[in-house]
Amino acid sequence: MGFASRSVSITRYRVRGEIEGSFWDTVHEGIRKYSFRPVDTSGDEEAMGWTSMYDFTDIEFKGAPYVTGNYVGLALRVDTVRVPPRILEMNLKQETRKLLEETGKRRLSSGQIRDLRERLKESLRKQVFPSIQVFDLIWDTAAAVVYFGSHSVKARERVEDHFKKTFGLNLTPLLPYIRGEEILAQPGERQLLEQLRPSSTAP
Amino acid sequence: MDLFDILREKAFLGREFLTWLWFRSDRSGGRIDLPGGKVIEVFFLDRMTLDLAEAETPQTVSLKGEQSELREGLAALREGKKIEEARISVRSGDNDFTMNIKATWFSFGSFRTPPVFREDDSDGDDGEGAFLEKVSLIEEGMAAIDALFEHFLRLRVSDEWELSELPALRRWIASSE
Repeated sequence: MGFASRSVSITRYRVRGEIEGSFWDTVHEGIRKYSFRPVDTSGDEEAMGWTSMYDFTDIEFKGAPYVTGNYVGLALRVDTVRVPPRILEMNLKQETRKLLEETGKRRLSSGQIRDLRERLKESLRKQVFPSIQVFDLIWDTAAAVVYFGSHSVKARERVEDHFKKTFGLNLTPLLPYIRGEEILAQPGERQLLEQLRPSSTAP
Repeated sequence: MDLFDILREKAFLGREFLTWLWFRSDRSGGRIDLPGGKVIEVFFLDRMTLDLAEAETPQTVSLKGEQSELREGLAALREGKKIEEARISVRSGDNDFTMNIKATWFSFGSFRTPPVFREDDSDGDDGEGAFLEKVSLIEEGMAAIDALFEHFLRLRVSDEWELSELPALRRWIASSE
């Protein structure tokens, strides 16, 4: 669910690292370079990139801007084109039978099967709808915090990777212990945190 | 410590936070007084997941339903389980938030803020205004959780934890039978 909804999922990250040179120039350049480009029907099975938070088809940010005050608001769009394996196998069996009837052969060589499978995959891919996933992200550049609109492990891996590619900055999940390290930053305090062991709360 | 080690060895910190939060909320009618005078109201609602993390095979107790059924959660606490996830409401200032707060990742499901006032569409930048208001509300809710966590954390590393807070927590768990 996007952040515009009443009810959202949120994973929080601390943004770590430094941008060399002009901060906003790097941000704009990065977003431009790593914005979404659709799947190339002849090759890629997956496409991933930034789009507008307000419209996942707006890949040039012609509608609302992505900067509001100190915040950068983006959506990460992931399109996956996948031919279901059984559909491929079904078509492969049909085409194999046809070829064997036409040529009178008993069976195809492994090379022929491989080529046939590749050709079928290409043509079937053109008939498949891509699955489109969209995940919202809000970056508070003043507080070095990112709010990411999903919990899924795969979505998190993707956004961490793409954010790093785009801006050269790391996203660290704000786990309780990591938040604790920020709160108890003095050497003496930090040691107390490190020495903590689970308490038994059973009476 | 790398992320993997932290997740494996320090997940108890988030669970103890939620367990302590329930104790404090229940004991004082929802009102939690923070150092510096700020007051935050916290109520545990109809959904809670408890887990025995240190066991070979984690056992999950999921509760859904009326508040009174949360007493079953206390039975799980008596067995040494801790809260992994809970649906809570948080009131900070004039604003009410509800959320499923998750202990291990400190992440949030179904995070609900008060409604954002939408200006009518004739105003050119109502998108921006609504965005800023939404973010501001999210940050306010997060700030309340952070303030509660900081209060817990400072207590947790102090001598007061073993001396008074933990015994009181244990008594609360035991007394609910």
